[in-house]
Amino acid sequence: MSYLVDPANWEWLFAGNNLRFLLQGFAINLQIAILAMVLSLVAGLGLALLRVSRWAWVKAVTGTWIDVWRNLPLIFIMLYLSLSIPESWRTAYQDLIPAWLPDAFDSPFFPAAVAALTLYNSAVIAEIMRAGIQSLEKGQGEAAAALGLSYWKSMRLVILPQGLRRMVPATVSQLITLNKDTTLVSIIAIQEALRHSRIITNTSGSPFTGVGVDAPLLHVFLVTGLLFVAVNFALSRLSRRLEVRERERSGIAVERVTGIEDQLETA
Amino acid sequence: MSGLWEVLVRHFPQFLSGFVVTIQLVAAAFVVAVVLGVVVAGLRVQPLAPLRLAGTIYVEFFRNIPLLVLLFIAFAGLRRAGLDISRFAAGAGSLGLYTAAYVAEAIRSGVFAVGQGQIDAALSLGFTYPRTLRMIVLPQAIRTVIPPLGNLMIAMIKNSAIIGVALALADDLLKEARVINSRTFQTNEVFFWAAVGYLILTVGTTFVVRYLERRLVIRR
Repeated sequence: MSYLVDPANWEWLFAGNNLRFLLQGFAINLQIAILAMVLSLVAGLGLALLRVSRWAWVKAVTGTWIDVWRNLPLIFIMLYLSLSIPESWRTAYQDLIPAWLPDAFDSPFFPAAVAALTLYNSAVIAEIMRAGIQSLEKGQGEAAAALGLSYWKSMRLVILPQGLRRMVPATVSQLITLNKDTTLVSIIAIQEALRHSRIITNTSGSPFTGVGVDAPLLHVFLVTGLLFVAVNFALSRLSRRLEVRERERSGIAVERVTGIEDQLETA
Repeated sequence: MSGLWEVLVRHFPQFLSGFVVTIQLVAAAFVVAVVLGVVVAGLRVQPLAPLRLAGTIYVEFFRNIPLLVLLFIAFAGLRRAGLDISRFAAGAGSLGLYTAAYVAEAIRSGVFAVGQGQIDAALSLGFTYPRTLRMIVLPQAIRTVIPPLGNLMIAMIKNSAIIGVALALADDLLKEARVINSRTFQTNEVFFWAAVGYLILTVGTTFVVRYLERRLVIRR
């Protein structure tokens, strides 16, 4: 304990560029997370709609697709993609990518990382959204049909607005998981918060490359971890606030989608 | 196609040992997660505010921190700090600590599902608070909690893949696949069989959980 709170072990934090370097790495994680979140939500909605399709074979094919991707470890998907994408594609990507895009795009492994995050999370989110859609009483769809609304119109005007509202808490906890999972890209050699943390622990103590102040690994990673805790905690609070406001506005307690693993967790 | 089977036959012992190590990791972590999860859930429903706060801090910290960061802290961090922690203990322990936060939340919602009325009834009968938790609430809560616990088990199987590749803390299925791949360069074939291994575990657990759910869940 005294090792943990000893001020000498915390000096590194404000020495030289350490803190800025750490935050720069964290920014890469956030950039990857935001892009993957948007892609996963869009692809997840598409998959969910296919999953509740009127055609049995579309349902079956989408169901298998979703079940395979959400039952594989994310790091497995990421490693596979990064190993199997040919080098020529990676160099082609690097030549193609314009310089004005955020730093995260620079790594040749960036497409593999985002693709893996999207494949996995869109499958999980599709399953959450399907549960949200199917949790509605059958009467809703029947009433919409009785009013003469077409399939797509009843989906867009009646089913989705109610169904999607129910899955907000579950989706937000999945997005938090996604945010945590961006650290996995360090394994496929993308420079982000964890890699920067390791660089700090390795070089900070050196009088040549660092600032000459030792940066103990435990402390550096604790700070990195707390960065994630702060952002994710804020996200979960925001989701709860939205829920409460919605309840006050509409006067109805929105029934939550429950019984899916990812309301609790999945990484 | 023949290449696919050849890879499996030639490297079967390695695939199998990786598969077994993954199961061992998950089993050890599951024990840690459930024991600790029950303790933390107990803290979160205590009448004493400081104890509740401790439970809340535990849950919010471990639920919002990336598992990979936790692994770095648990293994490399503690080693540098002079604590001689074994590879397996660091890996399975981190996974257990991480999942315990989710287990605690699952148990807590199970406890709330039991209802305040029953707790009040037990207290009025002269049961002490811990005794009420142990004899009235937990036996019912455990049953409500089985489906989410099963889902956490699936999540643990998937999360365990991080342990081997990140810091080489264990020679689990993904780690073995990576080693075989670096020798054969038959990436598609090797990862196909590793995927089969993981799907056997995750989809298999799904079926077991569904079966238990049908048998045990109390209809309310």
